[in-house]
Amino acid sequence: MHKHIVRLLTLIAVVAVVAASARYLARQDTFFQYGHYRGASVAQIAAKLPKHQGSATCEQCHKEIYAEWVGGIHRKATKDNAIQGVVIKSGPGCEVCHTPAGNHPSKEPMPLSTEDQVTTITHKWENHPVNAPGRKLLRAPEDMRLLCANCHEKIPGRPLRGKVAGEGVPVQAVTDVVGIHGVPQIVIEGHGGDEICTNCHNPHSPRINFAAVPRPPSDPNTGKLIPVSAFKSGDANAGKAVAANCGACHGVNGLSVNPEWPNLAGQHADYLVRALNAFKAGARKNDMMSPMATGLSDADMRNVAAYFASASCKSTAADKVKADLGKTKAETAGCAACHSSGGLNRAGIAGVSGAQAWPNLAGQNAAYLTVALKSFRDGSRNHAVMSSVAKTLGDADIENLSAYYASASCK
Amino acid sequence: MSSSADVFYHVAPFAGFTYPNETEVPWSELIVIYPYITGLVAGAFVVSSLHHVFGMERFAPISKFALLTSLCFMFFAPTPLLFHLGQPTRALNAVITPHWTSAMAAFGYVAAFYICLLLLETWFSFRADIVALSKSTTGVMQKVYQALTLGSDDVSKRALDTDHTIARRLAMIGIPGACGLHGYVGFLFGSLKTREWWSSDLMPIIFLLSAVGSGVGLLIVIYVVACWWRKQTPDNGAMQGLLYVLWSGIVIVMVIEALEMVQMIYKAREGVEGVFELINGPIHVGLFFQWGGGLFALLVTSVMMLKMPNPKRLIFWLFIAGLSMMISVLAMRWNVVIGGQELSKTMRGLLTYHPEVLGRESLFTVATLFSAPFIVLYLAQKLLPTVWEGEPLEPEERVFDIHKAI
Amino acid sequence: MNKLPREEKMTTQDINTEKEASRMTRRNFLGLLGKGAACAGAAAGAGGALASAGGGAANALGGVGPTFQQEPEQYAEARKNPPKIPNYNWTEHKWAFGVDSNRCIGCLRCVEACKMENSVQMDRNHTRTWVERYTYLEGSDHALVDSIHDLKNVVPASKETRFKFDNRYKNAKVAKSFFVPKLCNQCEKPSCVQVCPTGATYKTPDGPVLIDTKYCIGCQYCVQACPYGARSLNLVRGTAEKCNWCYHRITKGLNPACVEVCPSGTRIFGDRMDPESPISLFLRNNRVNVLNPDMGNMPNVFSAGIDKEVI
Repeated sequence: MHKHIVRLLTLIAVVAVVAASARYLARQDTFFQYGHYRGASVAQIAAKLPKHQGSATCEQCHKEIYAEWVGGIHRKATKDNAIQGVVIKSGPGCEVCHTPAGNHPSKEPMPLSTEDQVTTITHKWENHPVNAPGRKLLRAPEDMRLLCANCHEKIPGRPLRGKVAGEGVPVQAVTDVVGIHGVPQIVIEGHGGDEICTNCHNPHSPRINFAAVPRPPSDPNTGKLIPVSAFKSGDANAGKAVAANCGACHGVNGLSVNPEWPNLAGQHADYLVRALNAFKAGARKNDMMSPMATGLSDADMRNVAAYFASASCKSTAADKVKADLGKTKAETAGCAACHSSGGLNRAGIAGVSGAQAWPNLAGQNAAYLTVALKSFRDGSRNHAVMSSVAKTLGDADIENLSAYYASASCK
Repeated sequence: MSSSADVFYHVAPFAGFTYPNETEVPWSELIVIYPYITGLVAGAFVVSSLHHVFGMERFAPISKFALLTSLCFMFFAPTPLLFHLGQPTRALNAVITPHWTSAMAAFGYVAAFYICLLLLETWFSFRADIVALSKSTTGVMQKVYQALTLGSDDVSKRALDTDHTIARRLAMIGIPGACGLHGYVGFLFGSLKTREWWSSDLMPIIFLLSAVGSGVGLLIVIYVVACWWRKQTPDNGAMQGLLYVLWSGIVIVMVIEALEMVQMIYKAREGVEGVFELINGPIHVGLFFQWGGGLFALLVTSVMMLKMPNPKRLIFWLFIAGLSMMISVLAMRWNVVIGGQELSKTMRGLLTYHPEVLGRESLFTVATLFSAPFIVLYLAQKLLPTVWEGEPLEPEERVFDIHKAI
Repeated sequence: MNKLPREEKMTTQDINTEKEASRMTRRNFLGLLGKGAACAGAAAGAGGALASAGGGAANALGGVGPTFQQEPEQYAEARKNPPKIPNYNWTEHKWAFGVDSNRCIGCLRCVEACKMENSVQMDRNHTRTWVERYTYLEGSDHALVDSIHDLKNVVPASKETRFKFDNRYKNAKVAKSFFVPKLCNQCEKPSCVQVCPTGATYKTPDGPVLIDTKYCIGCQYCVQACPYGARSLNLVRGTAEKCNWCYHRITKGLNPACVEVCPSGTRIFGDRMDPESPISLFLRNNRVNVLNPDMGNMPNVFSAGIDKEVI
């Protein structure tokens, strides 16, 4: 045979041997153990740490809130139901609305799973947000509306039994008739105005039962009041100039000259801004206020609201007998759910509202309160909650309640 | 997540309904260029074999050149795949533990086999020249040539006869190899039941025949340009031969493609409305180039087949026809690879793929990878200048010629 | 697909009968193919695929025979020497998933939970599980379909990673509308496993199809091959991505994350070897269907209450 052929064959043989042994050596030990794959990879995949820990894990520390949830409708939907013979665990647990616990409350990052450690050669490695150490589990308050609407907004396609909670239909009436498949469904327009859901509903026990369910208007973890989204506070000094126009009726220090007009001193600034906006937009009508509000810019509103909010309030005198009757009525009517800083079942200051978006009633003029409630009742003023509450009140109730809140201490 | 901006760059806008995961088109323009390059390899190899195997003398002047072209393009056939992989460093996993039920698993072996075959055939075809060059050059180049001779300067008639026989036998293996390589690429697409646009038994044949068309087109283009560059006149006999091959290629590929289309429409399985939408929608420009380019090349070559023009006109029009065939086949690859993914698996939605301009998977990468074989071909013909000399009748004369040429 | 009605009434005794039947079928089938498969390399590969596919088909309940593309001796090894997962033996389970579309409220908690649990890319275009909405407008015979990636369903003025169905048909007359959750079907004959060139994805004896992210080369052939659109490429990892029924959770006795958070009981998960598990009860008490049965993949996600338009 020719020399070059021999050499070529030798070269081919060497290359083939090197390639074959490289291929053999590069093969992982456990390959082909159970099939055409790395047998070791099964245990590696199974070794990943779960991030959803289950509601029972949360109970270990957050006992109070857990109890609240267990007693509420969200948990009732969760209890094991036998449907068509199928036992199904359903209903929103803690991690449905909060993000998964992961290794909370540890401040350490979560150990990376095998697949989390894999990265391409072109992408810079970055940790997945869920692995971020000290990650916040609570949703931001402004997220709440979106979160609740995820399940409870009325959308074609959501299984539904019974009526839909819409304008004027109390939600309780609906939740009772929603069948096992359905969730309470809310037409968002006209339900609760532009309030955040959690201002009225306790997310852990969302059904509003004014007689029994506490409505903490505060952040359940920190105890701080839940602020209203996107409210920018104004400049009280700048508001003083604007307030000069208001002083003729509402008093320069926010104490009005006519008892049928509201005191503004010490009122929540956010509420004042909302009221002015409502007048400007025509949602609320008043012969004097509507033209006044039309002339105000957004900044003017914030500033003048800040000015009056910082002014010192004063309790007004009222009939003691009526006030005592009003106090009893306030308890049964559930006014404190919103108009007490503590909600219904907690100690709070009566007449000082929990959320910035709702008015303080303590120290308000009794005559004005009467006018306001009556206008809610006859429909000349509208609010998702107040309109339905006011319809349950008689004339005497209204006068007693007005007297009670007027005489309450506003400090 | 990291770099969300460039994540969204990949997302294709869609109409109708697609699955969420489909909005990122998995196979990009790199997978368009991959079957295109292997097609060029197969086509060029077929032309070289017409002389080497079938002894068609008119192809003698370009057969070695066609072989070298084939080799240079084959070097780069796997590169688009490599750039496309999410984990390119693990590419060899498919070779270490090939999963044979996957159409893709054999790729490493098929490509390696074919590169080896082309290398061997090229080596045997050029061995005498290499030996001559190792004696006539000096310095580094001499060392290179000496290494290429494997230390044997046996250019006796018997040895060269053996070389010639082996080269011919390798070429004989190479023809089914080339058909296999490219039919296999077609199988890779045609065997997927999920894509209505791909799932056709004719897919391997269409890929193979369009490969011949585009390969011949490429050969014509490179040959004409190279002759112009070297201030030579292309060989008229070879040009006529290329005309015949190109014409046959175009005719068969267009008939089969039309058959496939008619079949798909006539069968009218579920989702045929989606196919119509696809044809009228995202790929209508591509189809215009595919069919327009093909028909134009068919028209030009048919006219020349009816009445052979004078050599100058033949060169010009054959060059135009070859170029339009290359464009037509490139458009066809786009329409198949991208078009198939632009029709959603749901059959109810269409996506529109917008290629990236810069990046790992981008038009820039495609341009770079596609120009690389041309550069390598330029270097290879510098290394083996005898590629332009054709194959003389007597091996000894060739050796003698080399000494004269240098 | 005639196996479905049969399996619904599966009892322990039936399982044993089934075992016998599957062994018989498999042996005959292999014997038949064995002769032809011994010839050439390519033929052997294809024959092996067919033979293993046959094994998968006969192995309707796992734990009674080799799974898809698993040789008998490899299955024996899987029984004798299972992977070292604490308190778990993969030949003692056969997981399955149920989707009761009648109950789905389209809240997409499952989508977010899955992304968090498995560190999936947080955008809308790479997802292991998703929900589709089918809507028939009055007078129309065809459903309008949208899902989380539809631009309409991107939550306005929110971070892109929040998922919510938009109330887009509120002003239209809707005749019928429903939600359908989708996820990987963990098929008995997975086409993704068939086309994987390296063996980076595989069918386990207990059901799920897993991805070995340390071995995947990211060629995305499996993404193309999946008829259900369940696979995608994770751009950060450069490897394929798909649901594995939270294999790390089910091997610890937990439910998959999507089942864990589903507030309406739409998603049902369990072990088919346990006749009292939720999935066994679900299959027994519902008339279920699988998606795209004509693809021949034999899915292991069973749906109740899906419609002709669901694809």
